[in-house]
Amino acid sequence: MRPFARREMMASLVSHKAGRDFMETILRRLSRRRLLASVAALPILAATADGRSISGHLPWSPFAGDPPKPVNPLGWYFFNPGEAATVEAIVNRLIPGDHLSPSGKDCGCAVFIDRQLAGDFGQASRLYTKGPFMPGLATQGYQGDLTPAGRYRLGLRALNDYTNTAYKKDFRALTPAQQDTVLAGLDGGSITLKLKSGFSTKEFFELMLQNTMEGFFADPLYGGNKNMASWKMIGFPGARYDYRDHIDKHNQLYPHGPVSIYGQM
Amino acid sequence: MARLRMSVHRKTLIFAAALAAFAAPAAAANVEAGKYQMVLGDCEGCHAKNLAGGVALQTPFGRMSTPNITPDKETGIGNYTLKDFTLAMRRGVAPGGKRLYPAMPYPAYAHMNDNDIADLWAYLQTVKPVKKAVDVNQLKFPFNQRVLMRGWNMLFFKPKPLADNPAKSAAWNRGAYLVNGPAHCGACHSAKNAFGADKANALTGASLQGWFAPDLTGDRHSGLGAWSQAEIVQYLQTGRNDRSIASGPMAEAVENSTAKMTDGDLGAIAVYLKDLPPSRGNGGKATGVDAQMKAGAVLYDVSCAACHGRDGKGSAIFPALAGNANVTQVRVDTVVRMILAGGKGAATPKAPTGPAMPGFDWRLNNEQTAAILTYVRNNWGNQAPPVSSETVGRLRRSLHSGS
Repeated sequence: MRPFARREMMASLVSHKAGRDFMETILRRLSRRRLLASVAALPILAATADGRSISGHLPWSPFAGDPPKPVNPLGWYFFNPGEAATVEAIVNRLIPGDHLSPSGKDCGCAVFIDRQLAGDFGQASRLYTKGPFMPGLATQGYQGDLTPAGRYRLGLRALNDYTNTAYKKDFRALTPAQQDTVLAGLDGGSITLKLKSGFSTKEFFELMLQNTMEGFFADPLYGGNKNMASWKMIGFPGARYDYRDHIDKHNQLYPHGPVSIYGQM
Repeated sequence: MARLRMSVHRKTLIFAAALAAFAAPAAAANVEAGKYQMVLGDCEGCHAKNLAGGVALQTPFGRMSTPNITPDKETGIGNYTLKDFTLAMRRGVAPGGKRLYPAMPYPAYAHMNDNDIADLWAYLQTVKPVKKAVDVNQLKFPFNQRVLMRGWNMLFFKPKPLADNPAKSAAWNRGAYLVNGPAHCGACHSAKNAFGADKANALTGASLQGWFAPDLTGDRHSGLGAWSQAEIVQYLQTGRNDRSIASGPMAEAVENSTAKMTDGDLGAIAVYLKDLPPSRGNGGKATGVDAQMKAGAVLYDVSCAACHGRDGKGSAIFPALAGNANVTQVRVDTVVRMILAGGKGAATPKAPTGPAMPGFDWRLNNEQTAAILTYVRNNWGNQAPPVSSETVGRLRRSLHSGS
């Protein structure tokens, strides 16, 4: 396990009774010799963290900047056509088109989720995903071996298995009212999909809900929030960065519309 | 070390003798004064900090590399006499009749007086010799034929010491000497003809190496007409004032040279520059570009105002755009570069921060950049012709191709 992950985990564990027991087990297992050896290694590790002294100018180079690359809005990178249609149906029920905003699909939420699952997030590339797998605490999130992409693939298949059993149809072919019933069942616990131990139906629903909201509110360059619809809806000014003219205008509506990272207005 | 010092002493003696023979009226050369001459001329700017040369110079005629001017006998100018040095500085002729290229600003140094040249020579003798051979002439035929410069000199080189103008003050005359002589401001700020020689309209601004060295004359919008003498001095001494911050090649000139000049010399330069007759200007304000101005105002608000202010006045480390002569030049090379690639300001002992601007190349297209520039060039009292997206596109391409 990476030292950082272990430290984080231990820090979050000590506040819980179960965590304290866990810590005690670990400390008992940690022999005196191993402790001394690891402490001896510390100065060596510290010595490699070199500082760089800068004088005269701050480092600068022309065309510097590491702007995020806007996603290609066309096609699907992770979902197969069936999955894409299912996710579009789901985001359309989670964010139905109405007088407040266009629907989740029209805002690009499914595209956003697809690009995220095809990228670092979907592959869990920044998480430790090897064993041992132990049941975690509610605050620790998913603890199993499936990546987010794997959880979507498994979950969407199980969802269609369920609707085919219950309604003889794929989820996307259900009426909006039926879709709402199914989604409410996933959320409320009345429906249990055939997933995998450690990955509950409720967790699957919450994963989709979370990612749909992210797609709805994230900068448009990531594929969702098309035309900054959500920002306009809530009056969020986006990536503006100078409010000095408005700081002392209390109880007045901010008059300017949103701006995206790429300067779209 | 002792031997080295002795040899320096011996050289000084030899050169003092040579000096007596060559420039009889000159007083004994002064190493400290010579070091100041090097500051005035910013020798380091082209010949590197250790003066051993090898710095690439991109000229319109091809690539050159600056020579080694340390006193190394084989690779530097250790075998020069004061007379050789004077001829190189003021006539562009090295020992053996080898013609220098005017990338070495000898047309400016031709104005330098005997004392200053002798002092500079005395100082150069004390520099640590560095053995470093430099392949100076990397030009292609026919420009690599140094003999060509004989004809060039006949056509364009009028070597004469700068005569004092008795109608003007001592400060004005000192300023004229510095600007046109050792400080060679015209090397960048005067437009060049097809042969690389100064055009008649000196110090009215010129494009070079992807920058536009601004107009220094008294024109109100493209030149320094609106700047006070104190503002010019502050700019040269610190690299910044309430109107602008030096960047690019001028930041180097400020850091190496003008920031180290005496208050008296900076004041003299300001007196002289403020007396230059106005140029023909930048062509006047933009008209009939309402759509561009409107788009520019919105884009400015979103991308620029946070630092440069809605009023264009900037703040201590962000240059003002209102009244900033760099913004309203006839050509927009510098400002387009600044917006797309970003820029780094001068850092001087009196203003050590050296602020920098990030590049907006990734975020602003040609049309948007042109709109912002047209707006900035015609707002808060600024006046300058509009900028087209084609111009921005051309400059963007050349910035990316690295020329």
